[in-house]
Amino acid sequence: MKNKQRIVASMLIAMRFTAIQIVMSIVFAGTLFASEANSQTVLQKSFNITAEHVQLKKLIVAIEQQTKVKFSFSANMINAEKVITYTARNKRIADFLDEVLKPSNIGYQVINDRIILFPLINNPPKESTNKTEEKATSKAERTVSGTVTNEKGEPLPGVTVTEKGYTNTTITDEKGFFSIKVSGRNSILVFSSIGYESTQQPVAMASAVDIVLKATTQSLNDIVVVGYGSQKKKDLTGAVSSVNTNELKSLPVANIGEALQGRSSGVQVVSSGAPGSNVTFRIRGTGTINNSDPLLVIDGVPTDIPLNTLSPDDIASIEILKDASASAIYGSRGANGVVIITTKRGISGKSALEFKMFAGQQKADHLVKMLNASQFASLHNEMMANNGQPQNPAYANPESLGKGTDWLGALFQTAPIQSYSLAYSGGGPKSTYYVSGTMLDQKGIVYNTGYKRYTVQFNSESKVFDWLKFGNNLTLNHDAKYNGNYDIRNTMAALPVQPIYNADGTYSGPVGQASWYGDIINPIGKATVVDNTTNGYNVLGNIYTEITLFKDLKFKSTGGVQAVFWGNRTWSPKYNWQPIPQPNSYLFQQSNKSLTWLWDNYLTYDKYFASRHHLTLLAGSSAQNNRYDYMNGSVQNFASDNTQQLSNGTSQQTISGNASEWALLSFIGRANYTYDNKYLVTATLRRDGSSRFGENHRWGWFPSGSLAWRISEEKFMKPLKWVNDLKVRIGYGITGNQNIGNYSFASVLQTIQYNFNGQTVNAVVPQAIPNPGVRWEEVQQSNIGIDALLLDGRISVTADAYIKNTNNMLVPMSVPISTGYSDIIVPSINAGKVQNKGIELNITTHNTKGSIEWNTSFNISYNSNKVVSLNDSTPLYTGSIGLNQNLSIQKNGLPVNSFYGFVTNGIFQTQKEVGDYAVQVPGSDPFNRTSPGDIRFRDLNNDGKIDDNDRTYIGNPNPRFIFAMNNSFTWKHFDLGIFMQGVEGNAIFNANRIYQEGMAVAQNQTIAVLNRWTGAGSSNTMPRAIFNDPNKNTRVSDRFVEDGSYIKIKNVTIGYTLPKRLIQKVKMQTARIYLSAQNLVTFTKYKGFDPEVPVNGIDLNVYPVTRTLSAGINLIF
Amino acid sequence: MRTLQYIAAVILVTGISSCKKYLDKAPLDSINTANFFKTESDAIAAINGAYQPLQWPKLYNLRIWTSDIWAGNSIVGAGGGTDGIETQDIANFVTSTDNAAALDIWRGPAPGILRCNLVLKNVPAMNINQNLKNRILGEAYFLRSHYYFILVRLFGDVPLITEPQTPEDNLRPSRTPKAQVYDLIIKDLQQAINLLPDRSAYNGADMGRASKGAAMGMLAKVNLTLGKYTETVNLCRQVTGLGYALNTNYSDNFNPATKNSSESIFEVQYFGKTSYSFWSNENQASWVSTFTGPRNADFVAGGYGWDQPTTEFVNQYEANDNRKDKTLLYVGGPSFDNKQYQSSYSVTGYNLRKFLVPKSVSPDYDTNPANWPVLRYSDVLLMEAEASCELNNLSDALVPLNKVRQRAGLPALSGLNQADLRERIRKERRIELAFEGQRWFDLIRYDNGQYAASFLKSIGKTNFAPKHLLLPIPQKEIDTNPNLTQNAGY
Repeated sequence: MKNKQRIVASMLIAMRFTAIQIVMSIVFAGTLFASEANSQTVLQKSFNITAEHVQLKKLIVAIEQQTKVKFSFSANMINAEKVITYTARNKRIADFLDEVLKPSNIGYQVINDRIILFPLINNPPKESTNKTEEKATSKAERTVSGTVTNEKGEPLPGVTVTEKGYTNTTITDEKGFFSIKVSGRNSILVFSSIGYESTQQPVAMASAVDIVLKATTQSLNDIVVVGYGSQKKKDLTGAVSSVNTNELKSLPVANIGEALQGRSSGVQVVSSGAPGSNVTFRIRGTGTINNSDPLLVIDGVPTDIPLNTLSPDDIASIEILKDASASAIYGSRGANGVVIITTKRGISGKSALEFKMFAGQQKADHLVKMLNASQFASLHNEMMANNGQPQNPAYANPESLGKGTDWLGALFQTAPIQSYSLAYSGGGPKSTYYVSGTMLDQKGIVYNTGYKRYTVQFNSESKVFDWLKFGNNLTLNHDAKYNGNYDIRNTMAALPVQPIYNADGTYSGPVGQASWYGDIINPIGKATVVDNTTNGYNVLGNIYTEITLFKDLKFKSTGGVQAVFWGNRTWSPKYNWQPIPQPNSYLFQQSNKSLTWLWDNYLTYDKYFASRHHLTLLAGSSAQNNRYDYMNGSVQNFASDNTQQLSNGTSQQTISGNASEWALLSFIGRANYTYDNKYLVTATLRRDGSSRFGENHRWGWFPSGSLAWRISEEKFMKPLKWVNDLKVRIGYGITGNQNIGNYSFASVLQTIQYNFNGQTVNAVVPQAIPNPGVRWEEVQQSNIGIDALLLDGRISVTADAYIKNTNNMLVPMSVPISTGYSDIIVPSINAGKVQNKGIELNITTHNTKGSIEWNTSFNISYNSNKVVSLNDSTPLYTGSIGLNQNLSIQKNGLPVNSFYGFVTNGIFQTQKEVGDYAVQVPGSDPFNRTSPGDIRFRDLNNDGKIDDNDRTYIGNPNPRFIFAMNNSFTWKHFDLGIFMQGVEGNAIFNANRIYQEGMAVAQNQTIAVLNRWTGAGSSNTMPRAIFNDPNKNTRVSDRFVEDGSYIKIKNVTIGYTLPKRLIQKVKMQTARIYLSAQNLVTFTKYKGFDPEVPVNGIDLNVYPVTRTLSAGINLIF
Repeated sequence: MRTLQYIAAVILVTGISSCKKYLDKAPLDSINTANFFKTESDAIAAINGAYQPLQWPKLYNLRIWTSDIWAGNSIVGAGGGTDGIETQDIANFVTSTDNAAALDIWRGPAPGILRCNLVLKNVPAMNINQNLKNRILGEAYFLRSHYYFILVRLFGDVPLITEPQTPEDNLRPSRTPKAQVYDLIIKDLQQAINLLPDRSAYNGADMGRASKGAAMGMLAKVNLTLGKYTETVNLCRQVTGLGYALNTNYSDNFNPATKNSSESIFEVQYFGKTSYSFWSNENQASWVSTFTGPRNADFVAGGYGWDQPTTEFVNQYEANDNRKDKTLLYVGGPSFDNKQYQSSYSVTGYNLRKFLVPKSVSPDYDTNPANWPVLRYSDVLLMEAEASCELNNLSDALVPLNKVRQRAGLPALSGLNQADLRERIRKERRIELAFEGQRWFDLIRYDNGQYAASFLKSIGKTNFAPKHLLLPIPQKEIDTNPNLTQNAGY
C-alpha cells in the first residue's frame, strides 16, 4: 500500500504545472464583449427617458415600451436591482448598452429582435493579461442563448445546459431562459433536467435555440448514486434498485425505512410498531446468522446512525445496491447490501419554499381477545382441580364475576401523529442551497409511548472557482423516544378478576397466594408511573471539495463527522402495590456518545475517446474511525418525586462506564468502460484494513466485475420498434461483513469484584477463550439480470437471479463448559456457510395516458435460504425466550433461524391411549404425569420415549416470496395511489401463546382456550387446563407455529392538486391536499396482533404495527 | 494550487505513518494476558477471582440451596406454574437432559476450576512473598477441590482438568472415573491443609478466605462421603482443636451482622451493595432472603416465595426445639419485623424464616449482604457423630451430637443402639442444616443411595428411580463435546 500512496502523490505533483495552466485558462477565460449586432435596426432604435434613482430593471422596461424591443436576462445573473440615474434624448439602444450596461459589466447580444443580457464575469485588468492568449481564446468563443420549455409550452427553470465535452455550464432561469458561452463553431449543447429526457442540440452556427424537453416516461437517463460516484441508469451493470421517492411523499410514516417496505424487489423491510424504533432490512435474504443489516450510506458517508435520524421530507433519492458487483466498492462492509440515501439539494434558478404537513390518528389493527372474568374463573377452577389443588373460594361462582377488567383495552389507545416541515431551496449559477426544518410528534398506540423528532438539514454547494467546488451536507437532529414501561404479554396475563384500581384509587395488585391470584404486577400502574425516555442528539455532517484538475480528471475530498449522543433515563417513583413493591424511588441515567470521523479522497477520470469509447476510472482512499463511550449511574431514595436528578437520590448509588474503538482504512478502485453504448464493463477493487480483525488477518481484498450488453443497440434489433431498450447484465463479486464486534481477536482479562468480610476486593478473571485468527465474513455473489424497456417506454421490466454464498461465516466457537471459559461469551470462528438463492422481478407499466393516467409497478422476489455448514456440524440453538427455552436452530441444511421443537399429534383422550403410546412424562403420581387431555407428541426416533431427540424442524421464519404492487391514478386534479404489500411462505412462532394458551398458572388466557379439552372427545387440538402443566404441553412445538403469510393494503392515498389558476394569485407553484391510510387492511391467517414480527419470526411481546389515517397538505411557493 | 501539494503530502504522510498504528485498537476496559501475573496484587486478584463463582446463582446463590426442594424438605412455591420448573422437574423426578438447573450446576464450577488452574500454573514461578504465595496456592487447591466435590457428587464421572486450556489444547476430554476425581480432591485438600494458615491468622478484609480449618472440615466431608470414617473422626477433631465454637444463637449463622462468626468454617461472602445487576453472575448480593421471603406479603424486599417447607418436614421438629421458630414462618409463630404471618402466603402454609433479612438491613431486593454458610462447626460435630456411630463408637458419637442438641434447647440423648442413634443423627442433620443445601447430598450419601430411595418414596415421590441419584449430563455439553457419555437412564 505504500507504493500505491506514492503513485497517487507523484501523480498529483506531476499534475501541478499542467493543472495550473488549465485552471488559469478557465478562470481567466477572457472577457467577452458583446459581439457585433446582427441586426443594426434593433440597436439603432432610439428613445427618450429621464430616470432618477430608478432600478435598472424599471429603466429597461421603460425602454422596451418605447422601442418595442424585448430584453431578456436572468435576474440571478444580472444585478437588475441596481439603482441608477440616466437621462436620454434620442439615444440609440446601442448607446444605452455601451454607456450604462457595459460599465456595470453587462454584455449583450442581439438575437432576432431581442436583446439578451448577460454578465461579463471576471473582467480582468487588461495590463496584467497575456493578450495573445486572451485573443486566441476569445476568438473561438461566442454566446448561445435561448429558452427551454416543456411539451405544453411552459418555460422550464433549472435546466442544466452544458457544452458537450467541456465544463462550461449554465442553468435556465424562471422564464426558461439561458445564455451560455461556447467554445467553437461545432459545439453541442446538452440540456438536462430531472424528470425530462436529456437532449443534445448542435449549435453549429446558431446563436439562439429554443428547446422543448420531453418528460421522461422512463428513467434510462436517471442518475443513480452507486457509491463514490454516480452513473446513468442505462449504464448500470450491477443490480441496483432506485426507489421512486415520488411514491413515498404522502405516506404518514415517521421513518423513511417504513416507507421503503415493498418498494424494491429483493429488499425485505420489517417495520416495528414502537414509535421511534427502526426498521430491519434484509437484502436478498438473511446472509448470515450474525448481523445481516445492510450498510447505510447517507450523502456518501457510511454510517451507523439510526435511519430515523433523517426526516423523510429531506430525502431526495434512495438507492439499494443488491449484488456484489455493486456493493463490492464497500468492501468489508458490503456483504449485506448497501442502502444509499441522498438528501435534497437546491436547484439553480429554481427557488422554492415548500411547506408540508400531515396529521392523523393511529390505532392497533387487531387486538387479541382475552377471557373475561367469569370465563377465567371457571378455567382457573378447572385448572386447579385437574392438579388436585384447592380451588379459590373467590371464584366459586364464576358467572357472578361478569366481564371484569379489559387490561389490553386499557393499555392500547388511539393516538395522534403529526408532522410539519418547511424547506427553502434554490441557488444561482454558482451556488445552491437547501435548508429545511422538520418536526414530528407521534404518540404511541401503547399507553405512554411516543416519539418526537426535530431536524434541521442544510446542504449547499458552491463553485468558488470554475475549477473548484465546495459543498456540505449537514443534518442536525434531536429526538425523544418515550419508551414507556409497557409489557404487552403481562397485560394479556393480568387477571380480569382484578380491577385496575383499588377502591381508594391506588393501583391494585394480586393479593394472596400466587397460584390463585397470579403475580403480575399491575401493568397499567407501571406503564403510568414509570418514565423511560431516550433522548438523541445527532449530527451528521460532511464538507467536500471537488477540484477539476484536467477537463476529464476530478479530485474529490470529503471530510465527515458523525456525532451521535444519546441518553436514556428511567425514573420510577416508589410504590407499594403487590406483588413486588418498589420500596424506593429510583433513577437510572445513561449517557452515550459515539464519534465517527471520515476522510475520503478520490480521483475520477471520465473520458470519451473517438466518440465510441467511454472510460471512467476511480481511485481513492478512505479512512474512518470511531470511538464510543458510555457512562451510566443510578440512585435511589429521593426526598421528593419532583427532584428527579441523580444528585437528589440518597442511597444505592451505582456508576459504570466503558469505551471502545474501531478503525477502517481502505483503498478503492473502479473502472467503467463502455463501447458504443453497447458493451459495458465494470470492475471494482477494494482493499480494506480493519482494527476488528486479528493482527495476521487485518487486510483483505474485495474484487468484483460485471458485464452488460445493450442488445437493443445492435443493428439486428433495430427493426423491433417495440423494444426501446434491452440489456443483459452479469456480475460476480466478493464482499465482506465486519460486524463482528470490536475486539473478538483479543485475549483479555476482566476485572470484577469479590468481597471478604463485607469489604470489596478486586478480582481478575479470564473472560472468553481468545481467537486471534478472527476475520471478516465473506460473501461471493453471482448475479444475472435483464433490463427491458418496451412499447415506447410503457413497460419496463427488470429481472435478476442470484446466488449468494456466505463463506467464513462467524459462528460461535463451540466451547465446552468444562473448559471454564464462558460457553455464552465465546469467540466466533470463521467456519460457517450460508447460501441464498433467489429471483427478483420488477415491472412498471404505464397503462393509460390521457385524461386518466394509470401507472402500475409490481415487484416480487423469491429467496431460498439455508445454512450449508456450521462449525463441526454442531447445531446452534438460538431464539432464547428465557430459561433454557430455545425456539430456533442453526443447522446444516435448514434455513437460518429455523424453528425447532416437538411435533404434536393430537390429544390423548383416555388413560389407555397414554399407556399405549411412547412414554412422555411417566410416573405413578396422577397429578405429575401425562394424562388424558394432554398433548401427544410424536416419537420421531421411535425409541418409545419422548425426549429432546424427538425435536425437529418445525418452521421457517424466512418468507419464500415477498411482493408489492402500487397502482397510481391521476384524473384531472385528483390522484389516487393504492399500495399493497405482502409476504408468503414464512412461519411465525407465536410465543405469546406459550403463556396465554398454556392454562398452567393463574394468568389470563386468550379466548382460544374456550375450546379446551374437558373430557374424551371434546378436543383434539387444545389440551386440558392443568396447573403446573406436568406433561409440558407448552414445550416448544408446532402447536405455536403459525403461517405468517399476509397481504396488506399498506397504503391508500387520495390527493387533490389545486388548479394553477387558483393558486397563482397567491404566487404558489403547487398546492396539494391528500388523505392517506397506512396499514389499512391486513389479510392473514395469523392469530397474533399483527403478522409483521421481527425477522427471526418470534412474536413475543412485540409492539404491533399500527393503522394510521391521516390528512396532509403540501404547498410550494 | 499549493493546496494540491498539501493534499498530496497529507495523503502520503497519513497513509504511510498511520497505516500500521491506525488499525491498532486494543480493548480499553480489560487487562491483557501478556502483562498479568507480575505483582503480588495480580496474584491476589487472580485468586479472588477463583472464589467468585461460588457467589453465583449457578451454585450457592440458588441452585445449591434449592436442592433441599429436590430432597423433599420443601416445594418451590413461588409463582406457581412453570416458575422454577427446572427445580420442580428435578423434585418430581422427571428431570430431562436439558434441565436448566442441572446445566447451571454443570456450568458453575467450571470457571472456578479454570481460575484455580491459572493460579496454580502461574503463581509458583512468581517472585513474591513466600507466605503469601503459599496461602494463595493453598486457597487455589481448596477451591479447586471444592468445585470438583460439587461436580462429582452430582454428576459422577466428570472431565478432570488440572491445567488452564488454550484453543490449541484438546478441549473435548472424556469423563474421568469418579475415583480419580476423588483422588485429586483429597490430594488438593491435603495440599491446602499444608499451605493454608489457621483462621486466626486472617483479619480485616482477609476474614473469610479459605483456612486450614476449612480444608480439614472439607476433607472430613469428603472422607465421610467415601465412607472413610476413621479419617473423618480424626479430621473433625483436628477442626475442633483449632478453636471453633457453636454460636449461642443459632440464627447468628445467617445474620449479616455476625458474618464469619466463631462457628463459621467457610462461607460464601456477599456484600449487598453492588453496581452489578442482581441477575448477573457478578451479583455480590445474596439472593436467598429475596427468594425465600413470602410472596405478595411485603415481609422483605423482594419476596418471591420460594422454598416453602412441607408439613412432613415441619412435623420432624421435636417439642421445644428453638430452631423451629428461627427456621420457619408459620401461623402462630413469632412475628417477623413486626409482621404477622398468614397461611395464605404459601401453598404449604409455611415459609422460610431462616435467611430473611429485614428491610432495615436490606432495603431492596438486590441488597442483601448475608453470607452463605458452606461449612459450619455444627456440621463438623454432626459429621464426627455420624462417623463415630458408623465405627460403632456410640458414646463418642453422643458427645458432639448432644452439643448440637443442647444449643437447640433439646435434652441430651443417651442409651440408643447403633441403628437408632444413626437415625437420630440423620434426623438431627436434617433439622440443624435444613435448607442449607446439605440434605440432598446427605440423602444420596446414606447407604449408597438406598436411604434416598426409601425416604423419597415414603414422602410420596413415587417417580424416584436410582438413576436420579445423579443429575443428567447437560445435553448442551454433550452436543459440544461428543466424547462425553450420558449418565445411565437419561
